[in-house]
Amino acid sequence: MYENLTGVIKLVGISIILVALWIFLSQYASDSFLDAGNIENLLRRTALFSILGIGVAFVIMTGGIDLSLGSLVCLTGCFLAMFLSVDYQPYISDPVYSISKDSSSLLVPQTQRYKAGQWVRLYQTKRTRSGVFQIESVQQGISSPMGTMSKLGLTNAPSRNEDNEDSTAIARLTPVFPISEFDEKSSEMTVIKLGTEIENVLPRDKVWLVNSKNSFKEQAVVQSKSSGNQLVLNLEIDSSIDAKQWLWTPLQRQQYMSVPWAILAAITIALGLGALHGILVTVLRLQPFVVTLCGLLIYRGWSRWLSDDQSVGFGNEYADSLSWFSIGKFPITLPTGGDGTLVNIPYAFFVLVLIATLAIILLNLTIWGRYILALGRNEEAARFSGINTGRMKLLAFSICGLLAGVCGVLFAIEAGSISPSNAGSYFELYAIAAAVLGGCSLRGGEGSILGVIIGTALMQTLNNMIILLEIPDTIELVVLGGVILLGVIADELVRRILGNFNAANRRKDG
Amino acid sequence: MTMPSTNERPPTMNEALLNETVLAVKDLTKSFPGVRALSGVNLHIKGGEVLAVIGENGAGKSTLMKILAGVQSQDQGTIHLNNNPVAFSSTRDAMNAGISLIHQELNLCDNLNVGENLFLGNEPRRLGLISYRTIYKKSKASLEKVGLNLSPRTPLSRLSLGQQQMVEIAKALSTDAKILIFDEPTSSLSNAEAEALFTLIDELRTRGVGIVYISHRLSEVIRLADRVSVLRDGENAGELEGAEITHQNMVKLMIGRDISKFYSRQSHEQGKTLLKVNDLRTSTWPKHKISFRVRQGELVGIAGLVGAGRSELLRAIFGVDQALGGKVILGDFTLSGHSPASAIEAGFGLVPEDRKHEGLILDSSVVKNIGLAGLRHNSRIGGWLNAQQESADAIKFVADMKIKTPHLGQPVKFLSGGNQQKVVMGKWLSLQPKVLLMDEPTRGVDIGAKQDIYQLMERLAASGRAVLFASSDLEEIIGVSDRVLVMHEGRLVGELVGDDINEKRIMELATGGD
Repeated sequence: MYENLTGVIKLVGISIILVALWIFLSQYASDSFLDAGNIENLLRRTALFSILGIGVAFVIMTGGIDLSLGSLVCLTGCFLAMFLSVDYQPYISDPVYSISKDSSSLLVPQTQRYKAGQWVRLYQTKRTRSGVFQIESVQQGISSPMGTMSKLGLTNAPSRNEDNEDSTAIARLTPVFPISEFDEKSSEMTVIKLGTEIENVLPRDKVWLVNSKNSFKEQAVVQSKSSGNQLVLNLEIDSSIDAKQWLWTPLQRQQYMSVPWAILAAITIALGLGALHGILVTVLRLQPFVVTLCGLLIYRGWSRWLSDDQSVGFGNEYADSLSWFSIGKFPITLPTGGDGTLVNIPYAFFVLVLIATLAIILLNLTIWGRYILALGRNEEAARFSGINTGRMKLLAFSICGLLAGVCGVLFAIEAGSISPSNAGSYFELYAIAAAVLGGCSLRGGEGSILGVIIGTALMQTLNNMIILLEIPDTIELVVLGGVILLGVIADELVRRILGNFNAANRRKDG
Repeated sequence: MTMPSTNERPPTMNEALLNETVLAVKDLTKSFPGVRALSGVNLHIKGGEVLAVIGENGAGKSTLMKILAGVQSQDQGTIHLNNNPVAFSSTRDAMNAGISLIHQELNLCDNLNVGENLFLGNEPRRLGLISYRTIYKKSKASLEKVGLNLSPRTPLSRLSLGQQQMVEIAKALSTDAKILIFDEPTSSLSNAEAEALFTLIDELRTRGVGIVYISHRLSEVIRLADRVSVLRDGENAGELEGAEITHQNMVKLMIGRDISKFYSRQSHEQGKTLLKVNDLRTSTWPKHKISFRVRQGELVGIAGLVGAGRSELLRAIFGVDQALGGKVILGDFTLSGHSPASAIEAGFGLVPEDRKHEGLILDSSVVKNIGLAGLRHNSRIGGWLNAQQESADAIKFVADMKIKTPHLGQPVKFLSGGNQQKVVMGKWLSLQPKVLLMDEPTRGVDIGAKQDIYQLMERLAASGRAVLFASSDLEEIIGVSDRVLVMHEGRLVGELVGDDINEKRIMELATGGD
């Protein structure tokens, strides 16, 4: 009898059940099931959870387990949101170290920038009220503990006296400039180019519009055209402003990191944490269950701390760059009579195909795959045969962390926002369940990547069925748990039947 | 009324059975789909005698014992206990009827102590709770019966394998067994412990207990058995009694052909020094430094009592255990504080003592096990598996070493002990090691496979390599080695060559003599 016969039987078994479910749903709920959006969603969820399942399958095959996956997914998403966070700050900005109501003046580090008659905006204030002021006079060469300062005399007094207590600024100052023209119909604002300090104002930058009565607007720039020494900015504004009364200053969009780097960084963090699990397990000989259980708690707490326990999102900033990924799809039409069925394959699914291919190659065609399986089945014998079992376990845990990071990134992008208190909850259980359903024995040494994917698909299809057939979703968890239990029982029975068959077919030991 | 004198005791049930046929097996037949394990086997055991049951692997001994002990039931044939027909549906039935089987692999729990193990499953109770007082009181008596002089409170894990086996025997005896079946009992016992066992068996004999003794060690059979029943291919192959019990007769009946010389130590040319071990200190005996040389073409045996440090030495050379100091020099490689991977690269291979846990991946196939150590070596650039090379190697070695397996994909757990051992050897031979280390090369291996293994060792030596092997089987050491290293309590106490290689001299050194 062949070594992997139980595995093959199991694979065939769950495939049959999966196809049967699909056929059933196509008949009984054909409108809702075969809807393009539904299939797309099914494929996307299968992709996401399969990636997670493949990661944990590697760890399970070495005889370990990883319970921290859900929290790791959440943490990765939070990091991604943090890395992609966007800030808008004025292009030109000076720190203010002293505000004087009595003498109507401000102290900034020595600069030639400000001239009498120029308007400025005081912002990021602590106790003083922010506002718009006009400069009356500039005095250079004022010495202070913070260095040489310029003293800017103002036509109006600030709301209070304030001095800095340590070396941090107590406010910031930015010059604001007159607007040449404002066209209400096209929402275009014409201004004079600001010279060397600001090259150009870019779309997705923002502008501040202020007036002497302290009104304030922050608006996004949709488009900018330059002609001669003028700049025409198309603003996302729905009211009209009187160009003579208002002043403007450009804000620079500061993205913490570019999208590719942010994604890479988030995934690298997840990879690092996975490797950390591996090190704790191999060097300190801690049990994987305990290590990753702590991870589950620590990463969740860490996510909540990172995001101040608030939902973090990617906002409209990334509507263009990320959306192609999250909702991008590849449409194909299945020839099933009539117009055919439109199936949109989400791009995430192609990520799964890539990862699965690599995983299958690693497991079946390289020596390291063999090492991992040998070590899972009999660690002692593997060690005695010269296999570096510590390194292989480290590899397995690292792969798991890496794939959890990938899943986290995909999940965050798809969802658009992460709620750190419950994002990713129970994901590890779904992943482990899919792995077990797909043929990974928790004792180690056995596993099939294809099985994990089919197992995930099976669970997601069941989930889908519950929704489509309007079974109360309180039953969902019961059904899932029940299916997995049945799967494991069937596995054991098949194993036993095969075992008896084998025992009969060989000569007994003397 | 006369009181019975102290010399006259009323005969116990067992003593009354002396020389009476206690167990009679007639025409026992057992088949599994496709294979007939037992075919019309007859056997009878008298009270107070030792019946040895011998045969090659696959002969049916194990099936027969399992039926007797209640693990399985026969298809045809009868079993009579004291002339009453019996049929066991479970091991409990058999135990209650007085038949106990002492397994080769012990059925004890090492997280409990000796007393708890003795009464495992049979705990005396008081008011529903386990009465430890009774356990410890009765344990003392049981332990004395087997010559174990230790407190029942001793944790089992602290006992040597041999002592643990004694505990298992004591456990069987405490159930008032009439028939004791021993399955390869001395495979993990030291000589002293084995002697204690034989003395015990002698004593049980006088008390009327019938003893079935299964063993591959024919010298033990000669020592113990009153009668020998030989099985071959599931049938009775013959019986020997008294003076007929000789090595030659037994082997002839077992194999069906004559094997005149079992051990043939051919002299082979011995070349220059291949392996140098300098001042090696194992972690078990940090104070003792071990140094020796092995030359090309040498078969060097390491003798010593159980616990003398033979296994530790081999494991330290191979890098499985970290040595505390010293160097191992093989060819161009100098190894120190190394891992098995480095040792393998240098040209070592180790056939470990416990092949099931250390040498094989039981669920894995023959071809994968043979290929396990050579994965890196055979791989293509970048770590790609070279499945063709693996299969080719496996085909070659299975044929070469006469490994009996239905096909290459067969999980090795289904192979007999001897074939399993050959698979482990094949794993190393495929890498063409310079020195093959072997720990108990023929433990649990049947006669036919033993011969094959000795031949393989000879061939290695003849091709200019060397074999360094540790063995508890003195016959084996004497019969195979060119040179013998004797160890005693972690020290290398002697090197013997030529005529000095004899039992007396080895035992002298091994027990700490001069």
